[in-house]
Amino acid sequence: MEKEFYAMSFESTHYAIMMEKKLKEKHETIMIPTPREITASCGLSLKIPVNLIDNVLNDLRTWDVDTNMFGIYKIDRTKEESYAEKIIWQE
Amino acid sequence: MTIKVDARGMGCPKPVIMTKNAIEAAGKDSIITIVDNEVAMENVKKLAAKLNFNVEIEKKDGDFYLSIFKDGSCAEAVEEATNDIGDWAILVCDDKLGAGAEALGNILIKGYFYALTESKPYPKAILFMNCGINLTVEGSESLEHIKTLEDKGVEILSCGTCLDFYDLKSKLMVGNVSNMYTMVEKMNEATKVVRI
Repeated sequence: MEKEFYAMSFESTHYAIMMEKKLKEKHETIMIPTPREITASCGLSLKIPVNLIDNVLNDLRTWDVDTNMFGIYKIDRTKEESYAEKIIWQE
Repeated sequence: MTIKVDARGMGCPKPVIMTKNAIEAAGKDSIITIVDNEVAMENVKKLAAKLNFNVEIEKKDGDFYLSIFKDGSCAEAVEEATNDIGDWAILVCDDKLGAGAEALGNILIKGYFYALTESKPYPKAILFMNCGINLTVEGSESLEHIKTLEDKGVEILSCGTCLDFYDLKSKLMVGNVSNMYTMVEKMNEATKVVRI
């Protein structure tokens, strides 16, 4: 089980599929069921490795995305109690 | 428990043979072989290394005491890995999860295999038949998850007839090719079979 990664969790399945297509053209992200640490979302998330998050965020800032449709969380399972922390990434 | 092999005064290859017999009989026990010369000491050491045992050598009164034991951390790791494996099997006969929109079925099957990698204990075996084999061949988006499961000790078997029918035999990327007899055995041995 991966200890640390980012999860982009979606409000809508269709938005998730659209975003997966778009992100996968440039980044190695994979679709996963939304981690249990995150309670919101339609159940789908894109898993973003720690080393790619900056590049992904840079792209998201330049693309025309609907920020109401998803949230980005840092998943940390290094401690006894794993948790998700929503990150603020918009300027 | 420790088994003592006293091979002092024995000529080559007696110390090695005696130690080898003791190792075979020992099971989880460790062994101490005592020899009285350097050549015998080196030979027993080589034998232990060949059988993946650890050796600690102590020199006492001109004799060599070789403690031969399995690496504890390794043995524990093996035990831990086998503890993570359950006794049921999963039969995958499609490359999508459920009937309905194809795009959703594709997403769900990927999610299913990802969630499997995150849930212990793992299944004992995953059997791929008919269109299911699309998941174990080149281009499958679930490949990484299935490889992870294989690394955890899950047996991954793809139906040979199916690979042949769809002309995908050379594209298999994970696990082994299997036949209907093995598939039936795996299902019969399992306490339950989850059909996807």
